[in-house]
Amino acid sequence: MTQWLLILAILLPLASSLGVALAPARLTKSVAVLGTLAALGVTLVAAYVFGWENPAVMQLGMEEPIRWIPSLGLELQVGVDSIALMLVLLTALLGPICVISSFSAIKEREKTYYAWLLVLQAAVTGVFCARDVIFFYICFEFTLIPMFVLISLWGSTNRKKAALKFFLYTFTGSVIALAGLVYVAWFNTHKGNGQAFWTFNIDTLAATARGMPLRDQTWVMFALLAGFAVKVPLFPVHTWLPLAHTEAPTAGSVVLAGVLLKLGTYALLRFVLPFVPDAVVTFAPLIAATCVVGILYGGLICWVQTDVKKLVAYSSIAHLGFCVLGMFALNNAGIAGSVLYMINHGLSTGALFLLIGMVYERYHTRSMKELGGLAAKMPVWSTFMVFFTMASIGLPGLNGFVSEFLCVMGTFQSSTAWGSGIWHSFGHQVGTTRGELGPWFAIIAGTGMIIAAMYLLYMLGKIVWGPLKVPGGHDSHGHDSHGGSDHGALPTDLNLREIGVLVPLAVLCIALGVYPKPLVDVIREPADQIVKLANQSRARIGVVPAPKQAQAPASDRAPGAEHLPGAEHLESLDADMSPAATPEVPQ
Amino acid sequence: MVNLQNMLAAVGGSLATVAPEGAVFSSHWPLTAIVLLPLLSFVLCALCAAFGVKSKLPAWITVASLAAAFVFTFLAFRSAGPILGGHGADHAAHAQVHVFDWMNFAWGDTQDSHGVFDADFGFYIDGLTLLWMLFVTGLATLIALYASEYMAHDVGLGYCRFFAAFSLFVLSMSCLVMANNLLLLFFGWEGVGLCSYLLIGYFYKKPAAVAAAKKAFIINRIGDLGLLMGILGVYASFGSVQYDKIFELISKGVDGAGNPLTTSNWVPVILPLLLTAGAFGKSAQLFFYVWLPDAMEGPTPVSALIHAATMVTAGVYLIARMMPLYTIDTAHTILNFVAWGGAITAFWAATIGMAHFDIKRVMGYSTASQLGYMFAGLGTLSSAGGAAHVFSHAFFKATLFLACGAVMHGFAGQLDLRKLSGVRKIKGWGIVAFAMFVGALNLAGFPGLAGFWSKDLILASAFEANPILGWLLLLTAGLTAYYTFRAYFRVFEGPISYEPGEDFHGDAHASHADHGHAEKAHGHDAKSHDAHSKGHDAHAGHAGEFHPHAPGWAINAVLLTLSVGCFAIIPLLALGEHGGWVGHMVGASSAALHGTGEGHGTFLGMDPHKVMYYVSAVVGGLGIIAAFVLHLLGRTTSAHAKADKLEPFLGPLVGWARHKWYVDEFYNMVIRVPLKFMAHVFHGIDQYLVDGLVNLTGFLPKGLGRLIRPTQSGELHGYALGMAGGVAIMILIVMMVAK
Repeated sequence: MTQWLLILAILLPLASSLGVALAPARLTKSVAVLGTLAALGVTLVAAYVFGWENPAVMQLGMEEPIRWIPSLGLELQVGVDSIALMLVLLTALLGPICVISSFSAIKEREKTYYAWLLVLQAAVTGVFCARDVIFFYICFEFTLIPMFVLISLWGSTNRKKAALKFFLYTFTGSVIALAGLVYVAWFNTHKGNGQAFWTFNIDTLAATARGMPLRDQTWVMFALLAGFAVKVPLFPVHTWLPLAHTEAPTAGSVVLAGVLLKLGTYALLRFVLPFVPDAVVTFAPLIAATCVVGILYGGLICWVQTDVKKLVAYSSIAHLGFCVLGMFALNNAGIAGSVLYMINHGLSTGALFLLIGMVYERYHTRSMKELGGLAAKMPVWSTFMVFFTMASIGLPGLNGFVSEFLCVMGTFQSSTAWGSGIWHSFGHQVGTTRGELGPWFAIIAGTGMIIAAMYLLYMLGKIVWGPLKVPGGHDSHGHDSHGGSDHGALPTDLNLREIGVLVPLAVLCIALGVYPKPLVDVIREPADQIVKLANQSRARIGVVPAPKQAQAPASDRAPGAEHLPGAEHLESLDADMSPAATPEVPQ
Repeated sequence: MVNLQNMLAAVGGSLATVAPEGAVFSSHWPLTAIVLLPLLSFVLCALCAAFGVKSKLPAWITVASLAAAFVFTFLAFRSAGPILGGHGADHAAHAQVHVFDWMNFAWGDTQDSHGVFDADFGFYIDGLTLLWMLFVTGLATLIALYASEYMAHDVGLGYCRFFAAFSLFVLSMSCLVMANNLLLLFFGWEGVGLCSYLLIGYFYKKPAAVAAAKKAFIINRIGDLGLLMGILGVYASFGSVQYDKIFELISKGVDGAGNPLTTSNWVPVILPLLLTAGAFGKSAQLFFYVWLPDAMEGPTPVSALIHAATMVTAGVYLIARMMPLYTIDTAHTILNFVAWGGAITAFWAATIGMAHFDIKRVMGYSTASQLGYMFAGLGTLSSAGGAAHVFSHAFFKATLFLACGAVMHGFAGQLDLRKLSGVRKIKGWGIVAFAMFVGALNLAGFPGLAGFWSKDLILASAFEANPILGWLLLLTAGLTAYYTFRAYFRVFEGPISYEPGEDFHGDAHASHADHGHAEKAHGHDAKSHDAHSKGHDAHAGHAGEFHPHAPGWAINAVLLTLSVGCFAIIPLLALGEHGGWVGHMVGASSAALHGTGEGHGTFLGMDPHKVMYYVSAVVGGLGIIAAFVLHLLGRTTSAHAKADKLEPFLGPLVGWARHKWYVDEFYNMVIRVPLKFMAHVFHGIDQYLVDGLVNLTGFLPKGLGRLIRPTQSGELHGYALGMAGGVAIMILIVMMVAK
């Protein structure tokens, strides 16, 4: 039975999507809710039967993979480790929330809407469950189509442009990523262990890819980054995101922020880090630098937004900068923080989009010039808004802090270059790990936490606090259910349905903030595997990170430098210190 | 009753099993209760809000739970005898309890990190902890009682919100103080920051309050970044964030890997500097002080508890707690920095306090100034003096604030000392005036009072460390006496004359215009009951019809208790050497400093510890006399006093001081405006350059395709292909550059 759980988690939303399409219109919502709840139930059962004592092992797969195109080695197999399972759970949790929160917002073409929303959920679940590259890629790309439809049919004024841009931008990137993956498969067939048959199994390919020379690894890494960094999105390739978020319907934004962006980070974790660790170790400072730039740049841009939804959208760029930064610290704390960040960002930012959608339904504007002081009118909404903003700011005790702290801590620790500059400390520091980043990255990224407070409190100050301000036509008398207004039965403040949608997210935010230990414990083993691979690479190519600051992290690092056996000593001699003070680099 | 006794006996019994050598309390519940009770109160107040309670229930819930928390703290203190045993004993004497694993992660041994991060939810109990917890819970109880009446105009949602945030504050503060590791301290640290944000912005319809709340949070966050990096640095060096492990390593003189600590600047200088950034942010020192005066926008009980007595002393607590780290450096580089930072802030804020007209702001600047004294005490190796001043200041400043609050409450928000006079002589204001007088005498350092003893300790050790520092602080003591009594003589003495504040008319209209929402949290509107009964047509000119609203029993009782408390704590500070009982408590903690007499500074050739009593008494007296002559003698109106005649002689100085030396404007010009400009530039770049390039990449193939094969090119394909090509070229470029 357990072998069908993941398949069910994928098929149930698909089946209910079909059900929505076929059932009479009055049953649309019920079918959609039932379908998502059933999927949630199945994933909860999956989490229950999952062997948490071996969290790094791919579990819950089918006994026999479905042989799809045997001649090409195409097999369909599913399976999750603890990280993937957590993301599947997040997807399944956001499913019913998205459906239920759309009840009052979506008034036209309901059937099409819910059907595509469910297809989207199935596709995303498929990505997290995939065990082979082709199935992964099919699901990865297939998420674009429902999202494209959702944005272009139920979006705001500029939806056509946003949908097209979203589609083309991410699609183009993914094609290049596919090229990278196919190259690895080709390499496996032709230069790998003498096998003459094709396979797309992720683990096999990963082992092969790790054997590639650094030059090939570098090419593959940049090809994969082209696809996955766009999806995350990292700094220079992020411009589709604000537009897509702003134009998407509420549930679309929630899925987009909650899980679609995590496809990118998950793919980085699943494909980039284990496939090409040599290249990752070599280029980690470069990628980390773009993350840091993204954190500051995205954060500052948030600060001058007037559209509150755009503000939250840009904040995702800054937040995911932290997530990827932690990941590329390539140590346990960083990777654990990064995985938690995926979950936590999904919860808190998803909730913020829901809250903004609720206001939009009432006042048909998201402009902070037209809205203000809603605490006076909507105390319940305001309470949730303040709560989730604080989760997003990273207030200790709520979930955001744990992940942000671990990411920054991982970054801070990740350096063997202690021994020069203001970190002038002789000998090995116990709390550090091998790595390429170090305190300067952490401190500069840390200023992003100040900027986060600046823009999020600016947002609260505008729309929650201050004198009451609502758009014309919605005067301060307030609409209640008898008002006969154009938005039907929505009361001034939140109704029970809306509160019910937010409460599970709030409970999880507190729970994960107060007691994150179980989650971190089950992330440990999968993270450990990646760290081990990274450490092997570090030993193999002898990269000693530049002991200087973060400002010029990669300019002096040649990808071909790995063949210089003495490079390590040369570099440490370059550091302004006597040979006796060379930091020991324990193996 | 029997049950209660049994319970208390059980609590006492379980607490009494404390062994001096870091043994754990046999049960953590009595200590956990100190944290759980405010949590319970928070949850109940939130439920009150959810169920629309429209009575004073939230206040009584809060007062009861905080009082219970105080009782538990007191019991813990009573049974902690073994820890507090010998004065100046080994500072390792403490007790630890472990409640649950909070951020306690073990990653196993992965190559070169020992891979354990050990931030538990647990408590570290020693003299310093108990001292802080005693006045935190005690004052919080009293101030909650005061607030039950003060906030009465807001009964309903606002009342619940106030007390929920109030309880949450005490919860966070308890975690901050009782934490057994730096990360849990950080949890409390940010938690009190959140409560401060919520409570400063309590009157959220006032843009000034919203701006002040935001400012407080953001400026605190800047310091917090330093603190967080300091915590990470401590972890990197010591492999732990738990106090006892850190202190043990420090006492051995090695870091976690066994390297000696003093061979580089990293541990002795950089780490304390990072922590100091956090401490200065929270305690409004040096560059960070600007948020504290603005925080006076919050309701006065909040100003009294959070922005005078407890939260702002967290910085002092942090440095006192981490004193072993600060004293690794034998040259005391960072401690000197702390001392000078404190002294400069003390002087700077006092000059502004002398010129400001808003008595609550005067008290706000005074708080920044007095906090400066505490840091000067810590920095000159008198942790007992610093802590003693925290202790006495908590009492007398809370008294002063609450008295100012009573005035504000009764005069419809009036705080301008030019528009109030002779309040003491109005019927029903005797206790308020008495409390204000007692508080002012303490702040001015009147001989024999609590504020006098604690300030003398600091002054003496400052002179000992560096006479220039001592003279600066001594001068500030004179200024303090002057501005304190300026406020007292102007408002409470002299001829009776007053004008109501702005809440008298303006807001009365606003509240009538309000459309019957349950929420009436609008400024202090309903406070001026007279305004409501008089109706709409009262004009500003009819101020004569205004009758001040004398405080009721809760406010008077609390003011009286606190005034008596200001006297009651004198023996705690004055009996015995080095801060008496308080000094003893500090001595039995990680803040203990052995051998204070390191400096060789003197006061005009005399031992500062012997003569400072007389000197500071004289200086304080001079300040009071100056205030008497300039602000009371011969004053016939509320608006003018003799001091006004001095202004022309001082040139632009008075005006500059009144404008807070234009520091806010300076920060705005130097930091905020450029940052905002940069943000706009980035936004522009994002829209036109980064995104423009993307659009161009998309457009090029389309254009080319149209040119070459106008009929064949499907738009979508061309777009995608072009972008693929574009990105591929970009990768190529990156590759080539990387080589």
